[in-house]
Amino acid sequence: MVADLYHRLRALLRRGAVDAELDEELRFHLDLDIEKRMRAGLTRGAAARAARLALGGIEQVKDAHRDVRGIAFVESILRDIRYGARAMRRAPAFAATVVATLALSTAALATVLTLGYTLLYRMLPVERPAELVEVAGVRRAFASEQLSTSEAARLQVLGPVSYPDYLAFRTGSRTLSGLAAHYPTAPLFVSVGGLGREVNGAVVSANFFPLLGIRPALGRFFHDDEDRVPDRDRVAVIGSNFWRTWFAASPAAIGARLRINGTDFTIVGVAPATFSGMTSSPIELYIPTMMLRVGYRWCDDALAADCTVLQMIGRLAPGRILSDAAAELPTLAPAAWAHAPRGENSGVAVAVPRGMSTDDEEPRLVRILGAVAIVLLLVCCANLAGLVGAQSAARAHEFAVRVSLGAAPGRLARQLLTESAMLSIAGGAAGVLLSRAFTGALAMMFFAADDEGHPLQYDFSQTPAIALATLGAALVAGVLFSVASATRVVRPPAASRLSRRATARWSSGAWLLGAQAAAAVAMVALAALLGASARTMLRGRNYDASHVALIRVRPRLVKYSADRAQRFQREVVRRLESLPGVDSVSMVGIESVLGGSSIGVALPRWDAAQRVTASYNEVGPRYFATLDTAVTAGREFDEHDAAQSPPVAIVNETLASRLWPGGGALGATIVVGRIERQIVGIVKDLSLRSRTHDRESWVYTPFWQNPAQVDSRVAIRAAGDPSALLPAIAREVNRVDPDVPIAETITLPSRIAALMRPVRVSATFVGYTAVLAVILTAVGYMARWRSRWRGARRRSASGWRSAPSADACSASSCARG
Amino acid sequence: MAGPPSRLELPQGTLDLLILKAIALEPQHGWAISERIQQISNDALQVQQGSLYPALHRLERRGWIKAKWGTSDNNRKAKFYELTRAGRRALDAQTGAWRALTAAVDLLLDTP
Repeated sequence: MVADLYHRLRALLRRGAVDAELDEELRFHLDLDIEKRMRAGLTRGAAARAARLALGGIEQVKDAHRDVRGIAFVESILRDIRYGARAMRRAPAFAATVVATLALSTAALATVLTLGYTLLYRMLPVERPAELVEVAGVRRAFASEQLSTSEAARLQVLGPVSYPDYLAFRTGSRTLSGLAAHYPTAPLFVSVGGLGREVNGAVVSANFFPLLGIRPALGRFFHDDEDRVPDRDRVAVIGSNFWRTWFAASPAAIGARLRINGTDFTIVGVAPATFSGMTSSPIELYIPTMMLRVGYRWCDDALAADCTVLQMIGRLAPGRILSDAAAELPTLAPAAWAHAPRGENSGVAVAVPRGMSTDDEEPRLVRILGAVAIVLLLVCCANLAGLVGAQSAARAHEFAVRVSLGAAPGRLARQLLTESAMLSIAGGAAGVLLSRAFTGALAMMFFAADDEGHPLQYDFSQTPAIALATLGAALVAGVLFSVASATRVVRPPAASRLSRRATARWSSGAWLLGAQAAAAVAMVALAALLGASARTMLRGRNYDASHVALIRVRPRLVKYSADRAQRFQREVVRRLESLPGVDSVSMVGIESVLGGSSIGVALPRWDAAQRVTASYNEVGPRYFATLDTAVTAGREFDEHDAAQSPPVAIVNETLASRLWPGGGALGATIVVGRIERQIVGIVKDLSLRSRTHDRESWVYTPFWQNPAQVDSRVAIRAAGDPSALLPAIAREVNRVDPDVPIAETITLPSRIAALMRPVRVSATFVGYTAVLAVILTAVGYMARWRSRWRGARRRSASGWRSAPSADACSASSCARG
Repeated sequence: MAGPPSRLELPQGTLDLLILKAIALEPQHGWAISERIQQISNDALQVQQGSLYPALHRLERRGWIKAKWGTSDNNRKAKFYELTRAGRRALDAQTGAWRALTAAVDLLLDTP
């Protein structure tokens, strides 16, 4: 096997040397044979003749020797390749067009494959990632406006667990060699030497890093002992990026002090640059689970059984498989889970962590883009069929000559297929390289930051499998469509001149071009639709996002009481309103500006079953003025809508017409949650969703009528460019209290753009493919007109020449026709 | 009167066996291999010299023999072929197979 391979490779790569050795060997043989025959009495001449006769002809021996070298097939392919290369040099425009066509279409395919692989399948960059399992609680979902009761019953939502739950799984499991807990999205406000900002941190159990097989770049990770006693061990591990930006990658970082959410920590280690956490939000800082109370402020006691905040990741024990863990872990669930109400953990889900997708829309996005890329590849195929057909028609003369010289038609077909394969591989390889640029651009345009302005990190590196799949697709596309012209070559040349056959070929080409044009038109329409949709959403419907800046203030992280936080909020609004260039300032208490949660609403006399779910937020005075949303009836909230004043609400037009179909919403009473409120205003529908989504019901209550208000997201309407105002806004908030963490200092258009990522990605991608499809179709039509024009010219020329007699048509001019 | 035996055409596939046998004792170059086969067979077997070299290359690819450039008796550069370990095993196996075959054919032919 090895000897065979060696000799084949040597024959292939060192053909000259092998031939020279055989020459030498045969010469030696003949000389000895001649000497022997001369010794037997023959003259030199007679002996030489006899020796050559005995050998059977030197050239024949060489041929026989070459035949047993096992490379005859490869050699003939190499000959085809050399011939193909010459043919391409003769028609460089054709070769370049085919390669460029394939490169642009396969690059789109490779980009989608890489995107899909990263979002849905790529494993974590840790040791033996296939052994890892994600363990999560399973919750029955609530029915909501977007989710019917039956859908909610089917849908199960994965949920985090509490620290005691985690311990129960960790100590009980035999199928896992280890189980780590982590809270990956801890916003930690960090200050070092007077510098302060919020970073994305993670609270992790001491076994987190060892379980993933990660080694520190510097220092150490957490000791088990440092994760045993609540609030005792104030140790932190910093990420590689944090180490570079805050400590200039200095070894002095080990042992340095950090203030995290108001508590002092000591840095004990640096995580390697290859690992930045389990999600697409890179982690800058890690603290142990026993310090969870610092990292998580939404529970009274973050380590208590009622605070479900931790995610779990385990490693399968040797010899165990996923189904073993999936069978065992539910048996370890706390007994209370069996009777858990809707919305709380009641079951256990176990899965191998794959893909970085966090958005439900992303799998759909990948499927749509995949379909678009395949349509583009088909358009490319149709185009290639036309191009290759025209090219082989132009080479009919060359083929006729080769057939007349004795080349078998099958041999010519193979030659054509070889040329197509060469072009396909070149196109595919160029596509693979081009797609790196495409994925780079995609990452930069859409996957660099989330909707809160935090940096994101996606590994969009290409895998060998994707490169191979792309080359394969290029090869299939290219070779498939040279088959048609190859079969034409195989047929006797005279037959192909029959006008009926030519017409059939022509019409098949026209059919392909028609299909191509139809696909191009469809793509353009789709691109226009998506583009318009994306633009509408970015611009906003019933609101004007273009002049709005945002900032998030989080007094809760530094343990402000509600009273103190509200004083702080009022001062922030007052200062921001007095900033030059600011038109108005408002805020929301729940989720984000334009966002919110959901709540049950009812009319006063309704029973519980009649309640409907509406989207909901608590908004400050002048919220709608800040967003430039029209109040169609009544008024919006002002400073008088406070905790002591009568409860009021604003509804959107959809909710108003739903609850009061005949009108009369203004001034009516509505039950929001459990509180009866008077409707003081009706506003236009205001939603981040696309126009394809159903209209949503919204109810708004005054920010200041919730006495528990602590944190807020503030919206600032600027007279000019809101991004220019961002530094001044942050400075002004800092002046009120420099210890209160601020985050998400971002303009509303940037935030919407990040939220609209799937739509924008598809609009951009489909736009690209539409442009490409149009260009390809245009190229196809041009090639067709050119070949038609040439054909017409030839026909008229040969008609003139052959006028005296049909027999005057020479072999070559007939073949050319 | 016993005259010189007439030359026999080699049955298909036996050339490999003869080559292996010819170099079983010591490495030989191509011409010597053909000479040796003729000598030992008392000139009864005629090796088609033209088929010797392709056969040698085939055996090399199979890993049964390996070639080395050396110096011949008359002080010329020559390619010498020698058996590899796999070649020696193949020689034993093929010799056994050949013996069994000829014995069976003999038996059949000797049957009255």
